[in-house]
Amino acid sequence: MQRRNFVHLIFSALAVPRFLLCQQGKLNQPLPAPTPWTVGLNPATPVPTTQVADAVATTNRHFFTRVQMANLEKLSDVLVPASGGTPGAVAAEVPAFLDFLIAHSPVKRKILYKGGLNWLEFEARRQFARSFAQLGPAQADTVLKPWLRTWMSDHPPTETHADFINIAHADIRMATVNSKAWSDAPARHTQEQATVGLYWLSIENIPSGNLVAKTYL
Amino acid sequence: MTKEPVDVLIIGSGHAGGMAAKVLTEKGISCLMLNAGPVVDVARDTREEPAYVLPYRGFRPPSRLEHVFQSTEFNANVWVDEKEVPYSYKPENPYNWVRVRLFGGRSLFWSRQSFRLSDFEFKAKSHDGFGDDWPIELADLAPYYSRVEEIFQVSGSNEGISQFPDGNFIPDDSPWSQSMVRFQEAGKHLGVPLCRQRRAQGRDGLASSVNLLLPDAFATGKLEALQNVVVRELTIDKQTGLVNGALFIDRLTKREMSVKARVVVLAAGTLESTRLLLNSGLANSSGVLGHYLMDQIYGPGITCSVPEARGGKATADLMGGQGLIPRFRNISTKSDKFLRGYALNVTSRLGLIEPRNFAAYGAELEKKLDEYYGSGFYMTIMGEVLGRKENHVRVDKQVVDAWGIPTLHIETSYTDNEHNMARDAVDTCVNIAEAAGFEVLAKNSEPNPPGYSIHEVGTCRMGNDPRTSVLNKWNQCHDIKNLFVVDGGSFTSAGWQNPTMTILALSMRASEFLAEQMRQRNV
Repeated sequence: MQRRNFVHLIFSALAVPRFLLCQQGKLNQPLPAPTPWTVGLNPATPVPTTQVADAVATTNRHFFTRVQMANLEKLSDVLVPASGGTPGAVAAEVPAFLDFLIAHSPVKRKILYKGGLNWLEFEARRQFARSFAQLGPAQADTVLKPWLRTWMSDHPPTETHADFINIAHADIRMATVNSKAWSDAPARHTQEQATVGLYWLSIENIPSGNLVAKTYL
Repeated sequence: MTKEPVDVLIIGSGHAGGMAAKVLTEKGISCLMLNAGPVVDVARDTREEPAYVLPYRGFRPPSRLEHVFQSTEFNANVWVDEKEVPYSYKPENPYNWVRVRLFGGRSLFWSRQSFRLSDFEFKAKSHDGFGDDWPIELADLAPYYSRVEEIFQVSGSNEGISQFPDGNFIPDDSPWSQSMVRFQEAGKHLGVPLCRQRRAQGRDGLASSVNLLLPDAFATGKLEALQNVVVRELTIDKQTGLVNGALFIDRLTKREMSVKARVVVLAAGTLESTRLLLNSGLANSSGVLGHYLMDQIYGPGITCSVPEARGGKATADLMGGQGLIPRFRNISTKSDKFLRGYALNVTSRLGLIEPRNFAAYGAELEKKLDEYYGSGFYMTIMGEVLGRKENHVRVDKQVVDAWGIPTLHIETSYTDNEHNMARDAVDTCVNIAEAAGFEVLAKNSEPNPPGYSIHEVGTCRMGNDPRTSVLNKWNQCHDIKNLFVVDGGSFTSAGWQNPTMTILALSMRASEFLAEQMRQRNV
């Protein structure tokens, strides 16, 4: 049996009595006038097209402090710069996105990021007497490179500082690759391609039988 | 109006419940299946989207599915919401309970690895003295495995290795790539065999209850099914002590309803079936209900690069393909570091090596990605977790789910046995890879939290002695003869193997036994 038939079979047994009752109830009601409000939309109705908000609007930043955000901008630019035809993390508006994402994340993640960005500031001032956001490329390398590690999925480094640098690197890169900017500028074949996947809509509230009772609201 | 009891009430619609429904209805027995979640229709419930149109750019929605490492923003709606059906654990011993309540359950989403247990699992205590033997052996289950493998169209190769039992496979005689041959040769010298993977091909790209089992059951006209009904407890006939139905709640409206049945088959998944029994106060004269929670350790492994494939030289002859190293420890020799053993998944892959495998960023990283493209070679562990009584679940009446049903407190942790096994696996991987001339890029010896493998088994285990087990060898409750549990809860030991084929074979065997008992009017 085809799966769709099987789905219909399940719904049919449940839905028909409810559908009939519904129709009986409607017979006793006066007709709405001048046009029944439930009539109109149908499968031929044109569907409006919408834009992605990132393409036309700017995210208001609330979570990181001014200094932390400046350091995150710098970190993003150093870790994922523009390369060939592909945009870097800053062009992909990753810092603003992370301000939003981390603000909604569990406390542990918030602490990791805020602590990490504060540490970058501390370390830059200790080593170079200036903010991390003001470091030159070689100076930024001096702060960051000692903490780079290789790691396997779900097991980022747990060592202090290495944890933040490597997790932030993975996040910044993923947010860049999954941005509209990256999608619009095709990556080299040896780079990650913009993710396109099967998105599951919410299937929370499907009342039994709505596949049989085809009324258009 | 009082309704007639159904012959058999099946709770759960995944592999275990689907098989029970197929077997019973094909023998003319009327069944009612209850499922806690909705029916899915991929054409209606999914669509192709680029990550950038999603609110979180494809990241797992924050604070929503913390314990489902497998989740992303794309699939977040298929998993059980942890706030809707919470569970608890001690902070130092986290547990990843990965659940799907859609019609078809977790049979909709699985890796398809399809293995038989061997007598090194069924008779594990006889082999190494730890734990308990199952009340059955491979010979008891082998005919059912064969029939399940036929239904699920399992591809593989018969290897003649006793700890990796042969089966009824679609022959896999595709050629190995050169990198796999090199790995195989290196493994041979270390006494580690590389075999073909065994995988359920299913039909039309799916190997699930909803396309391989339930359609046959519905075709008999003997199966009815309800979606979105959450079973709160089983009901008992106080005069006979037998189960006589279930009380359930409509998931969407919270309307409370009940149904009567002559027999109840639990197939809600290991921990949900056990939770239901605990909440019903049934089947626990032994005191072991909820105990001996097991799974498999996942996470440890290594990532390598095949040098000859670098610099744009990766070809399909050199790279690609998958294999499996079945358990090889503690078969003919004895480790002094751990009991039992592990298998290794081996993958040679064309394509990008993930950036985390390089300690570099910026232009340096881009150069590495270019150079190493197409040279990735991966090994990951599937390791047996020992059955220990202290690893258990219990009901916490203070914490209830969205329907007011008490939830589970899960108390389990890995021991030195599992950690030593993980370290041994990584050392072995490194030794073989280096012997093959591969470069090791990254490695990890730390297991993921218990539960991650989605192979939770036990807590309702089978055995010959009613004082130490919940079920007999037919998956029938020792205490209540018209109650069967046919999911992974019945396992006496976990093995290293993906448990799906064993769950299916046990459910088939138990259901045929039940049908015969009903025919003879013993149940």
